[in-house]
Amino acid sequence: MVDLQIPRGFSSLIPSGEQGELRAQLNRDRRIVLLSGTPVVNLRSEVSGVSARVCRGGSYGFASMPEVNEEALRRVLKSAEENAAVLDRHLNKGKAARKAVPRALIAPGTSWTDAEQKVYLDYLRELDAWIAGLPHLTSRRLVVACDSTEKHLVTGDGAEAHTAVPRCYLYVDLNAETKNGDAVELSKAFGGFGGFDDWFRDPAELRGQVEKLHLQLMEKREGVYAKAGKCTCILGGELSGMLAHEAVGHTVEADLVIGGSVGGPNLGKVVASPLVNMTDFAREAFGETAPLPVYCDDEGVEAQDAPLIRDGVLVGFMHDRESAQRFGALPLGNARAYSFSDEPLIRMRNTAVHPGKDKLEDIIASVEDGYYLLNTNNGQADTTGEFMFGVTLGYEIKKGKLGQAILDTTISGVAFDMLKTVDMVSDKVVWESSGYCGKKQPMAVGLGGPALRCRLTIGGR
Amino acid sequence: MDKLFAAAQAALDALTALGAEKASVRVQDSETLELNALGGEFTLMRSLLDRELSLTAIRDGRRGTAKVNRLDADAIRRTAEDCMAVAASGESDPAWDLAPAPETGDFTSGTLKADPDRLFERSKELLDSIAKAYPHVIVEELITEHRLTREVYLNTAGSRFTDISGHYSVDLMFSGHAGEQATSFFGSTVTAPDLDQPFLELGTLAKDLQSAERSLDAETTQGTCMGDILVHPDLLMEFLEVAADLFCSDQALINGTSPWKDRLGEAVASPSLSVRAAPLDGRICGGDKYTGEGFLSRDYDWLKDGRLESFCLSLYGANRTGLPRALNEDFCPVMAPGDKTLEELIGSIRNGLLVGRFSGGEPSPNGDFSGVAKNSFRITGGKLGKAVNETMISGNLADMLKNVGGISAELVCSGGYVLPWVIFRDVLISGG
Repeated sequence: MVDLQIPRGFSSLIPSGEQGELRAQLNRDRRIVLLSGTPVVNLRSEVSGVSARVCRGGSYGFASMPEVNEEALRRVLKSAEENAAVLDRHLNKGKAARKAVPRALIAPGTSWTDAEQKVYLDYLRELDAWIAGLPHLTSRRLVVACDSTEKHLVTGDGAEAHTAVPRCYLYVDLNAETKNGDAVELSKAFGGFGGFDDWFRDPAELRGQVEKLHLQLMEKREGVYAKAGKCTCILGGELSGMLAHEAVGHTVEADLVIGGSVGGPNLGKVVASPLVNMTDFAREAFGETAPLPVYCDDEGVEAQDAPLIRDGVLVGFMHDRESAQRFGALPLGNARAYSFSDEPLIRMRNTAVHPGKDKLEDIIASVEDGYYLLNTNNGQADTTGEFMFGVTLGYEIKKGKLGQAILDTTISGVAFDMLKTVDMVSDKVVWESSGYCGKKQPMAVGLGGPALRCRLTIGGR
Repeated sequence: MDKLFAAAQAALDALTALGAEKASVRVQDSETLELNALGGEFTLMRSLLDRELSLTAIRDGRRGTAKVNRLDADAIRRTAEDCMAVAASGESDPAWDLAPAPETGDFTSGTLKADPDRLFERSKELLDSIAKAYPHVIVEELITEHRLTREVYLNTAGSRFTDISGHYSVDLMFSGHAGEQATSFFGSTVTAPDLDQPFLELGTLAKDLQSAERSLDAETTQGTCMGDILVHPDLLMEFLEVAADLFCSDQALINGTSPWKDRLGEAVASPSLSVRAAPLDGRICGGDKYTGEGFLSRDYDWLKDGRLESFCLSLYGANRTGLPRALNEDFCPVMAPGDKTLEELIGSIRNGLLVGRFSGGEPSPNGDFSGVAKNSFRITGGKLGKAVNETMISGNLADMLKNVGGISAELVCSGGYVLPWVIFRDVLISGG
């Protein structure tokens, strides 16, 4: 077993004037992949170690080791100081130390059960045997992916945090063929924050949702290609969450603003319809616990919500302590590291478009000719806000009524242009938290939103 | 290496003692020295030590794997127990296996000792050169590093490999800027065995920086048409990897979703297309020398004159499907040069795009894809025109590979591939 406790008093080893952090961390991964009934991946993995980061004159040094003990803590601190000194000698920035932040003492005390592999497999087998009986499937793939991150952090400012983020998901991928023999696929992730038994006790409880996925796949088998070009679309919550994260969120991360993102020149300007509000939530959102709550970041800053868009106006960026000082803003707990060997970077937590007042059925009824887009498997955006999202499930809308399903396609647009076309916002938010955001390091994030009626470009034939 | 050998042998012994009939162990340690710059300024220097113990065991046809990044006796024992418990929880599948005959090999490549000062100089030289020669470019992020890995592989069939590898790499992300006008981001990643050449001379870095500045003069595509796309080597690499995954991987063939599933030995692509999966090619940095199943890696023809010569199957995938396994698991595509220069290829296109990057969703299992053409330029009447924005390209990857319109004489070596620019005919191009 790995004891993540950093001994009392070690924070005082971080030299004054070289503000920094010491972190001990353990990441666990459990994964099983069942391909048409056969386990093809059956894996348990644990990665642990310690790291230190210090700052000298504005230059940062970082070091890590795959051991958790006092000797390793002393060694990484020494190496980090040496690295900062090397960089400082070359660059001689002469910057003052970062502003101190309020001393945080965080111990949320999350607990969960780290199940044995057999528990996952037994559940998967039972669910898989039932899925195998569904008609017209050519193959199926079930994945259990449970990961957890536990940390003990101490900082030169006296902050101390014990945090734990366990996640557990079950992915169901179903495959079928169109009448032309082309393969079509649909996937859905179930689960969220917590351990396996918090979400998955009886496979029979998941049948209703898998049946719905199967029905959608059968509709997709008969699907048509979307007509390429600009059109009116309703983005379902999964896609509006993707938009919030990929196309807006990244452009207002302060490190990307420094790198020239479109967020920089738009601060304080209208970037969206007045119906649009967006926040990067820390612990709670819309009166409930956020999908992946963050209590304290890896610089020892107690996490608070970061407002991004208010009534269509861009009102803020997300920061670490360094960028907050540069922009004259408050750090709100966005500096996060994935593994023990990763330095804190500016990352989102739970980024979402706020709900509006419209009913989804009214929004659909309002569209003369367009598409209702529900599921996505992939999203990318540029620092210009130009985005592309893969769409794996959607329907035509003709004269206010849902029509045929469409085959896989892609939508694109420029976030701050497209958001100005939003003229209806549904009253329900859909959250998604099963994926990883990639930005040098992976990071577990939550993203969500309501249905949005807007204009954008759709790919197709 | 002695410590790694000792840990590997201890882990193999532990698995055997716990009842493994077949088992393999990989032990690796690594040292990374990394420099980071943000917004064109150096910000951070990192030194990272890490290690990994990776175990695989087969018992009664049931397979388990377990990983940990510790090598102490307690960690080895516990991880071996974990691995066997995982195997016991699985289902028997006779397809799981290891290389039947023992193979051995010791490999060393690249520069084994990092030179921090030289790395800093080369990195600073790159930032200074960009600031001087490309004034409209902002470097969003630069990561340069030296990474040394030492690895030992042992299995119960008697295979024994060692690999010591040290390489430098540069990862540059940047965009063009003029006032509030900005281009899409450009990304270039190159791996090199040493620091002999300035970073700017590696891969397509200089060309990409030039493209970022040229992209500031952009126009929006109107309407929809069929056209030709001339694909950057980085993007060709992506297309080839996706094709290998969708049409030739274990999953695609076990599931039966591959449109090439019955086409081994047949023409599936243009006769002008030949691609070798060649991790041992001298221009590839750090390609795998052996496989996780205990075979020595060997380069192989994936596509030869458009004919499908091999799937990309592991031994497991081969046993499940009855098809031959691939001779390596690292891909590393290498192509021979074409007979026309890049300029001549552009001159041969009446209507189309030079596509630098593709931002698209995962293609469907049948190869259908659509996405945004990024860092791309209009080609009309054989002339390279303005950059385009908000432009999508759509097609089918299997069809596209049949429709090659030209291959450049210029080859780009990124360290992970050796590829040319390639024209694909008749792709749907659509705008707003």
